Amino acid sequence: MLTPTVFLLTLVFLNIILVGVFVARPSITATRGGKILAFLGLFLLPLLCAAMGTSQHLERSKETAFCLSCHIMEPYGRSLFVDDPSYLAAAHFQNHRVPADEACYTCHTNYAMFGGVRAKLHGLRHIYVQYLGAPPSPEKIKLYEPFNNRECLHCHAGARSFEEGAVHNADPETLPAVEANKLSCLSSGCHEVVHNVGQLNTLKFWKAGR
Amino acid sequence: MKLSADPLERRLQLAGVLIILGLLVEAISLPGIRPVAFLVFVGVGGLLLGAGVLLYLYSLVHAGPSRQAGSSE
Repeated sequence: MLTPTVFLLTLVFLNIILVGVFVARPSITATRGGKILAFLGLFLLPLLCAAMGTSQHLERSKETAFCLSCHIMEPYGRSLFVDDPSYLAAAHFQNHRVPADEACYTCHTNYAMFGGVRAKLHGLRHIYVQYLGAPPSPEKIKLYEPFNNRECLHCHAGARSFEEGAVHNADPETLPAVEANKLSCLSSGCHEVVHNVGQLNTLKFWKAGR
Repeated sequence: MKLSADPLERRLQLAGVLIILGLLVEAISLPGIRPVAFLVFVGVGGLLLGAGVLLYLYSLVHAGPSRQAGSSE
């Protein structure tokens, strides 16, 4: 099957062969055709391969497996399988309220302008801390800033279960306050149990998804 | 590999070697799913590739008059 990775690898190896010809026989660049081929092999194709590869890596960095490939994130991955519907991340993951293969990114990206870029810059910082810094223990990891309701409302705004939910409408001021980010979705008494990785050892886990 | 006596061809050969090395690093790190694969792809592969492309462009800019004339062949 021709996946993007296979296509790109094919392009890379064709480029290597083409460049290899110029390395072995540089004199062929004396002809017009040789010059055009050299421009293709030594300039256009390498840049194309680099751009496509970077784009592919950036796209792959959205995957749950990518986030969980760091040891420090392992408990957060386990928390997605907690057998308790009050665990917000687990309930979203297990019921496919977020794409299972992009679960972390879906909730933790920033849905404002250039939010994707900010998320990637945060990712670079994580890589720096992971490999060159002193990573904290998993339960001590904190968000850069309080979780913005905007990220929840990206999906929930306008949804019937959200707009007409009994708890959300018990007080007429609740929904406007949530939509204005004045009352956090993660407030105490609302959806405050998210990952709670410090308590994982005392919990039951959903095994069907394993 | 034997380096050419002609300065332009020698620079093209060196640019080609750098680009091949960069492409090999990129090919190896492309399927990786860990963050380190991305770092190697951009940091090592991109650096080698960039150096090769820049050397190629430099060799074009500094091509001698005989080569410039050759382009109309």
